[in-house]
Amino acid sequence: MGIIEIIQSKPVLIGLHLGFAVVGIDVFLTLAGKFKDSTGTKKGRIISAAVGVAALIASWIAGGYYYVVHYGTLVKPVIKAGVAPWVHNIIMETKEHIFLFVIPLSLTVLFISLLEKEELDRLGIRRLATWLSWMIAALGLLIGLMGFMISAAARWGAVK
Amino acid sequence: MNKPKLIISSAYAASVSIAFAVIITIWAEFFAPLKGWLAAFSGHHWVSKSIFAMLVYVVVGVVFYIFPQKNSDTGLNRGLGVLFTFGILGTVALALFFTGHHFHVF
Repeated sequence: MGIIEIIQSKPVLIGLHLGFAVVGIDVFLTLAGKFKDSTGTKKGRIISAAVGVAALIASWIAGGYYYVVHYGTLVKPVIKAGVAPWVHNIIMETKEHIFLFVIPLSLTVLFISLLEKEELDRLGIRRLATWLSWMIAALGLLIGLMGFMISAAARWGAVK
Repeated sequence: MNKPKLIISSAYAASVSIAFAVIITIWAEFFAPLKGWLAAFSGHHWVSKSIFAMLVYVVVGVVFYIFPQKNSDTGLNRGLGVLFTFGILGTVALALFFTGHHFHVF
């Protein structure tokens, strides 16, 4: 099995999806703290936001590849035929679509991180920069929680 | 580079992109030909929605940035507030829609 095949395998794709998401969540939580407390340097904020955006894009691609190639044929039928088909109909459908919000939101925070501390205060956007960073982390956590429920439904879906 | 203008352009573009994702998702659930067209466009309806949502973000962002804006500094708070509100409303709207759809409320 070559390296490409290993990367494209189901457990690795799920691991990359979750791992990159955890990095993105952590980075935006840290960034929210920096905005809130007016700490860190401009360079540090830019690097944090850029790493966060890159991690969330990587999570989106890994999760999207798994969803398109494997989920529909292997996982969805198991959940739909199990005792909790609502997990696909509600949880998975919501999860896959709110993921579309995350990249534009995180790019906007990346652009905010280009400002100096004094500009953040002069423009009066420190509070909203903090809230938007928290929102990205919260959406990431919500998506992670939904992913856990989907995996559990596939694993235990036939057991009452 | 005008950083406040870049931020406000991105904020409104992201808001429009979120609204687009919500509207096309709900519309496609009720109008099968649209879902079929989305699936045929890229091979999967979700991939097509991803492509179009990002295209909407980029195009609207560029248009906002190119066109002149009055007081882009003072409009920043409003633009970011709109984005924050759209993020919450979009998440709630999709969750409520798919819940209602599952229970055949609509």
